[in-house]
Amino acid sequence: MANISMQHVVKVYSDGFRAVDDISLEVADGEFVILVGPSGCGKSTLLRMIVGLEDITEGDMMIDGERVNDVAPRDRNLAMVFQNYALYPHLSVFENIAFPLRLRKELSDEEIRAKVEEAAETLELTDHLDRKPANLSGGQRQRVAMGRAIVRDARVFLFDEPLSNLDAKLRGQMRTEILRLQRKLGTTTVYVTHDQTEAMTLGDRVALLKKGRIQQVGTPRELYDHPDNMFVAGFIGSPPMNFVPGSVRDGRLELPFVTIDLDDELRGRIGDRPLVMVGIRPEKFDDVNLVDPSHKDEGVTFTAQVDVVEWLGNEQYAYIPFESSDEMVKSLDELERELDSERMRNQLVVALSPESLIGNHSEATIWFHPEHLHVFDPETGENLTNSRAATV
Amino acid sequence: MSGVGNRTSNWWTVWGVVILAWAMFPLLWMVSLAFKSPATLRSSAGSFFPSDWTWENFRTVFSDELFTSALRNSFGISILATLISVVIAMFAAYAIARLDFPGKKLLLSMALAIAMFPQAALVGPLFNMWRGLGIYDTWIGLIIPYLTFALPLSIWTMSAFFRQIPWEMEQAAQVDGATPWQAFRRVIIPLAAPGVFTTAILTFFFCWNEFLLAASLTSTNRARTVPAALSFFTGASQFESPVTAVMAASVVVTIPVVILVLVFQRKIVAGLTSGSVKG
Repeated sequence: MANISMQHVVKVYSDGFRAVDDISLEVADGEFVILVGPSGCGKSTLLRMIVGLEDITEGDMMIDGERVNDVAPRDRNLAMVFQNYALYPHLSVFENIAFPLRLRKELSDEEIRAKVEEAAETLELTDHLDRKPANLSGGQRQRVAMGRAIVRDARVFLFDEPLSNLDAKLRGQMRTEILRLQRKLGTTTVYVTHDQTEAMTLGDRVALLKKGRIQQVGTPRELYDHPDNMFVAGFIGSPPMNFVPGSVRDGRLELPFVTIDLDDELRGRIGDRPLVMVGIRPEKFDDVNLVDPSHKDEGVTFTAQVDVVEWLGNEQYAYIPFESSDEMVKSLDELERELDSERMRNQLVVALSPESLIGNHSEATIWFHPEHLHVFDPETGENLTNSRAATV
Repeated sequence: MSGVGNRTSNWWTVWGVVILAWAMFPLLWMVSLAFKSPATLRSSAGSFFPSDWTWENFRTVFSDELFTSALRNSFGISILATLISVVIAMFAAYAIARLDFPGKKLLLSMALAIAMFPQAALVGPLFNMWRGLGIYDTWIGLIIPYLTFALPLSIWTMSAFFRQIPWEMEQAAQVDGATPWQAFRRVIIPLAAPGVFTTAILTFFFCWNEFLLAASLTSTNRARTVPAALSFFTGASQFESPVTAVMAASVVVTIPVVILVLVFQRKIVAGLTSGSVKG
């Protein structure tokens, strides 16, 4: 059990590339923290700095109050599960799990056997103890790698994208097993992934990274409901949030498919920006025919042409193309440098309930409530409607 | 009736037999000569197999101090050179595959240059040097040049092996609590075993069969190895041709090599062709 405190940690490679740019993060004892982000954001580098496989250029890495920047990995007493498992192919499953214990030389053979069998039972590997890793399936190998980590009573568990090499169904199963294991053992865990679903389902807290900097740290719910900026809003949630350009005129917000009145608070937040980016999640839309009549007047409806509808059984996705005016496109083109190009999709994704009868190439009336709108500054990407953002 | 196999496979069989006969013929001739009595060598003109088989040549060979000491020298020098070469190559190859140090490229190019150097050009200078140093006609006098020529190839082979072992193995071992030496001994060496075998066998063959330096840098029984000793063989008496005795000696010398290959053949093939290690 340990807490980790990263204080202004920086990693600069010899060619000058700043992989980790001044990150400060606290991981409490027993907490399950997820580091998530797109490829190249520095999450794996940060994890390796925690375990000691990468040097820390600047800043302090504290584990249990002790500065460990110069401590070798073997002395930090941390356990790591690698993306490619890194099992020892010449050893049996039993020996793989026993490896860390045998290194210490202080445990007798019977003690080692007891510990390994206990770990194997937790992970349901008892029948496979005499087999070699080459003969195991991906999920079994993953469990052996976890067994090697848990047998040591390490202070912290570190996972480096452990599920990326598994197929989708197995990934779901293993995700639950990892969660159950962590709850049972109560060990502090830091988990790196690029999959936002894993981040949302597994973490007590999630830290979203981009280009070496933390974009937001919070519970999954905080990141989902109150994203601090456009990047967080667009990364978390599947299907991703819709972004449409909006121009502010005469106290009203003009969106490509509808114009809405601005209340005082929103007007105040937007200030004198003529152009904003507006975000709204696909599931916040509804087919107007299915909306509870008592709520209907609180919201805004608009009519639009639906292009295609994808039916998934438990929900449907309707794709509604829209067009922005030329001047808006021109202004936003300049800003596209910072934003990823996916932001500038010209269609809305609307998640409808399966009972909706909206079909391909039909005209539909869609309803939404303005309180679900997120308004972003088009230059900085900052979320203007976030109540917490006002303090930043 | 006609054979069931298709024409292509028949052709392959025919060619296989032809090539096998071509390759094996000198070997079989050597064996057959070893079993012929020297006196009958000329008289049994044209017959491949001895008219009467005799162990006489082998007796001659083993009773001759020249040969038995040469055998002892060969074994000793080859085994020693192999052991030293494998150990040095292992450490060097690990450093080359894993670490980045200044002069690494220079080191590798030099190793390659040494391997390409013609041995014959070195004989004269080495002769003088060794006499001056006092290691002429000693085991060490042969082991040093053998190492010089065997090491580049050993290092290249082994570093190719080490490069194929994913670095994550050692990192996992480090995180598990191993010192670099423990990680090397318990994880890397077992995984590099095919490479070690290949290196050992290549070095052994080189040292065992080497003739030029063995003949030039030795003069007595003290250090003369078998290939050199055989060239000085004169037979039981002045009037008998030493050919059959030399053949007998050759058969004896070939046996260890054949045994080694048979015992380690799978490991040799694995070492030469793959080195695939999955994490």
